[in-house]
Amino acid sequence: MKYALRKLGLFVLTLWAAITLNFLLPRLMPGSPTDAAIAKLSQNGPVTQATRDAIEAQLGVPGGNLWDQYVSYLHQVVTFDFGVSYTFYPQSVGELIGQAFPYTIMLVGIVTIVAFVLGTLTGVLAAWRRNTWLDSLPTLTGTFASTFPYFWTALLLLFFLGYVLHWFPTSGAYGPTASPMFSWDFIVDAAYHAVLPAVTILITSVGGWILGMRNAMINTLGDDYVTFAQANGLKGRTVAMKYAARNAILPNLTGFGLALGGVVGGSILVEQVFGYPGIGFLLFNAVIGQDYPLMQALFLLITVSVLVANFLVDILYGVLDPRTRR
Amino acid sequence: MTTTQSFKSISTEEVARPPHRLAFIGRAFATLWANWKSRLGLIILGLFVLVAIFAPWLAPYGATQDGFPRNADASWAHWFGTTAAGEDVLSQLIYGTRISVTVGFIAGALSTLVAVLIGLSWGYIRGFGAEVVNFIVNLFLVIPGLPLMIVIAAYLQNGGLAMIIAVIVITGWAWGARVLRSQTQSLRSRDFVTAARFSGDSSFRVVFHEILPNMTSLIAGSFFGAATAAILAEAGLEFLGLGDSSIVSWGTILYWAQNSNALLTGQWILLFAPGLCIALLAMSLTLINFGVDAISNPRLREGSAKAPRTAPSARTEEGSER
Amino acid sequence: MIAAAALALSGCSIKIQSKQDPSIPADTMLLAADKGTPMMERNFNPYLVNKRAASSYIYEPLVVINVLDGTGTPWLASKVSQPDARTIDYTIRDGVKWSDGKPFTVDDVVFTLNLIKKFPTLDLKGAWQHIASLETKGDHLVIHLKEDDAPAQDIISQTLIVPEHIWKDQKSPDTWRDPNPVGTGPYTLASFTSQQYTMDKFEDYWQADKVQVKHLVLPAATNELDIATKGFDWAYAFMSDVQGTWVEANPNNKYWFPPGGIIGLMPNFTVAPFNDINVRRGIALALDRDKIADSATEGYMKPAGQTGLILPNQEKELDPSIPDGGLITQDTAGALAAFAAAGYTQQGGKLVGPDGKQFSFSITTANGYTDWLRAVQEVRKELTALGIDVQIKQPQPPGYQQAIQNGDFQVAMGGMGAGVVFQAFNATLSSEFATPIGKATASNFGRYTNPEADKLLAEYKTTVDPAKRLELSHQLQRIVYDDLPVISMYYGGLWGLYNDAKFTGWPDADDPYAPPQTYDQTPLLVFTHLKLRKDGE
Repeated sequence: MKYALRKLGLFVLTLWAAITLNFLLPRLMPGSPTDAAIAKLSQNGPVTQATRDAIEAQLGVPGGNLWDQYVSYLHQVVTFDFGVSYTFYPQSVGELIGQAFPYTIMLVGIVTIVAFVLGTLTGVLAAWRRNTWLDSLPTLTGTFASTFPYFWTALLLLFFLGYVLHWFPTSGAYGPTASPMFSWDFIVDAAYHAVLPAVTILITSVGGWILGMRNAMINTLGDDYVTFAQANGLKGRTVAMKYAARNAILPNLTGFGLALGGVVGGSILVEQVFGYPGIGFLLFNAVIGQDYPLMQALFLLITVSVLVANFLVDILYGVLDPRTRR
Repeated sequence: MTTTQSFKSISTEEVARPPHRLAFIGRAFATLWANWKSRLGLIILGLFVLVAIFAPWLAPYGATQDGFPRNADASWAHWFGTTAAGEDVLSQLIYGTRISVTVGFIAGALSTLVAVLIGLSWGYIRGFGAEVVNFIVNLFLVIPGLPLMIVIAAYLQNGGLAMIIAVIVITGWAWGARVLRSQTQSLRSRDFVTAARFSGDSSFRVVFHEILPNMTSLIAGSFFGAATAAILAEAGLEFLGLGDSSIVSWGTILYWAQNSNALLTGQWILLFAPGLCIALLAMSLTLINFGVDAISNPRLREGSAKAPRTAPSARTEEGSER
Repeated sequence: MIAAAALALSGCSIKIQSKQDPSIPADTMLLAADKGTPMMERNFNPYLVNKRAASSYIYEPLVVINVLDGTGTPWLASKVSQPDARTIDYTIRDGVKWSDGKPFTVDDVVFTLNLIKKFPTLDLKGAWQHIASLETKGDHLVIHLKEDDAPAQDIISQTLIVPEHIWKDQKSPDTWRDPNPVGTGPYTLASFTSQQYTMDKFEDYWQADKVQVKHLVLPAATNELDIATKGFDWAYAFMSDVQGTWVEANPNNKYWFPPGGIIGLMPNFTVAPFNDINVRRGIALALDRDKIADSATEGYMKPAGQTGLILPNQEKELDPSIPDGGLITQDTAGALAAFAAAGYTQQGGKLVGPDGKQFSFSITTANGYTDWLRAVQEVRKELTALGIDVQIKQPQPPGYQQAIQNGDFQVAMGGMGAGVVFQAFNATLSSEFATPIGKATASNFGRYTNPEADKLLAEYKTTVDPAKRLELSHQLQRIVYDDLPVISMYYGGLWGLYNDAKFTGWPDADDPYAPPQTYDQTPLLVFTHLKLRKDGE
């Protein structure tokens, strides 16, 4: 109980610090949101003073000193009202996030789970059949693939499978004439559009899981109780799955928790390249456009997700492994 | 544990003299070489370092020398073609090695240094101080890395390589610190540490003279991991255009290729080659890390340096378990 | 061995083909004018920054100004006259209908002007900085200006007119997204999804007989790869190697890149030694503009003259006494002489000033503007050859904006020139913009002040006589040429791409009736000019 309370206390404190940091970070960047808007406009021709004033009035220069802004920001956080975006004016932040969130969750969430399951099972196999090709091949190719820069894999896949071979669509989450709705056609269309981004993330992330699980398994396989189980005549597969894997998976689980939390923020590059309308693309636009309200809300969303995931995993770990409850 | 060993007669002086510190490095290198994966990694890394050092002699032209026909396809004069600005791609790739290797190593080393300083101290101290550090580290871990990098890059307003290294270090030290901390914690309860403390050693000495040497392979592993992450982060930052676009690195080649639509001009090699180099360099470091893992955990060793089947007894040099 | 592998790999360089979508009929244009982020919001309010691009094809101004040379085509105003420098008399065209059938009258114009007065955030062009009062006389709208301000006509005429009967009920027109826009323009919104929208011709448009393109399709995915591969009819984008990519993708693909502005170096006049004409002249003479233009724009654009005019568009304005259209050729000997007059001499390969230190300064450009970056790198090469130490600062675009607005730079990349000649000179030379360092301004970021120029500009505002205006323009050009308020380098281009398989009558170098841009008001000129290609043509 004390363990859980302590973790909760830490969680709340970290949450507060993260919220405050999220408030300060966007204001670090030089230039105001008006400057960002003018930078965009000035590419089409000179921008007059009048236009500049009009835009500033439209976007609303953040008023009050830093403390006032902070207080109103805290108020926003508690009431979940984050105001209107600057770059997507006059759309509200809530509206934008609501539109983008499902796509990221669907894409990155599913891919992370698939990568975890696939990687962990392969890792078990690799550890059990160590020093055979069943070990070297997945480990090496997985590791090599994990060193590919995200955007590089994305660009090459996009180019060859999308533009040259026309096997997959080149942008968007669904077709140009479709509208989001809960119909079978739409779900198939959305899945079709998600294949390339999903494959990109899968290729790059599966290697980590394979390696982690393999190493953990190898450690566990050297433990005495495994030798004991084998000496007792239990089948290899039983030993591997029922005894070794269950213990070996614990460190990986922590990583999985973190990864799930990181799902929300980790897809910027992929979404950018594929024009996929998720949280990552939104965040990129927000940062480039000095969009304080949107940036704050998104940073908050991401940090809260990671914190919550971490917290849940900590609790889960406490449940699964009594040794940590000291 | 019934092993038979043949004893060689040794004089007392030889026994009394402790093995030379640097002999450890030689032994580590031998272990790395024995493992075929890390051997491959060392070879690839060595190749890249050599290319970086000898770039002016290897590259057919200067890195920023332009005036060649633009967007040219591969030819004998230009093995990989030319960029949209009329520069030779192969020369840029070769000179770019310097930046990537340098940034990777420096950023990785600094990141590891910070992680060591913080992680070890944090693992050693107990009580409220540890909780405070835990809190700070969690904070750094929780903030999304890439957006944080973008914000810091915009704030620092392009200080060139120094800024990129600073950004990578600021966003990257936390992970290593955590790993090192948990290992320090488990070592702290070992006998030799208690002995050192009771014999009056200051905390600083205990941490950095007793505990640290037992973690060298873990720190080395951490360094290679950090260097890998640094190389990928530098490429990512340059690709987004947040770095210094006037230096020639693999990341900036990708940036210019993307901006001049290399895919459209049919020059997919402009995108393929730098990315492949980044992947290979990062891969070599990861491969070496396989070997480093094996040093710290004998169970993972391959080849002739394999550990005996039974669990090894406590060894003072290395053998810290995960 | 690496060579062979490389050759083998690169040999398979893949060329993209672009085929027009056969399902798109012959009277429908596929247009790359809008861009999703990555989705498009249904926002057609013409005064909002984030409006859809095609909102410009729905709402029309009183006069359409060709940004290439500043000529105005009377549009919703059938006639514009300026009896004196304080009055503008618009004859509002009759026979114009709104797309919902209601008639367009002078009341709509008055309502619109009062609307943007009431909500200043909508007054994007700043019309009410010049207007004193409005007066209607039948179908005439007479505008009284605050002072002698003849050039204000160009600004006020660009106001987009919205229908009174719809907008009067809007409580907050400054945030209203106008999802079902009603305008006087040639097209109306047909269908909308977040990744593509289509427009139909407005059959009762007041120039309906001139509009032959019946439908428009505007997708959201319009990056360069999309433009080159999906069979677009009209696009606006900078294409690297346009010949090898766009033109070769389809036999009917053509392009036209006219100059749209001047890119140059803006010295900060409040920072020594840039207030010294000899230093500016030294820098100007040291530059190899051919190389800079070639490097920055991949050879598409030419070096720019030092008159503040965009040539050849504004040839007629050119002062004949200025040699060579104002083009300054590289003259390192002359540069060194100019620097010497300012007290800088070459010592040991470095250009050293009167204080004994090497002449060193920074050029501020915006991160991500790749053509500017290439230009600055080239400039750095040429100045380094003389022994000057040049650093490049590249803040992100908003940071760059902040720096130049506050005067926080030594030399910055920037531009000058505009279609309307007065605007061009006013923005560059007028001391009304020369705010102190730290206080933001919107133009003349270098804080140039010259009482002579101010006098000429004030005089320009008081006259409506074209001959007098031309003479004043000559004198202003002379000031730009002699005093170097902005050191011009090369022309910035307008990147027009089009395909004439289905439609002919595109603007090009032989017929520059409009710029090739797909945004702002000039597409109205294009849509009323394009014809369907007849079979056998």
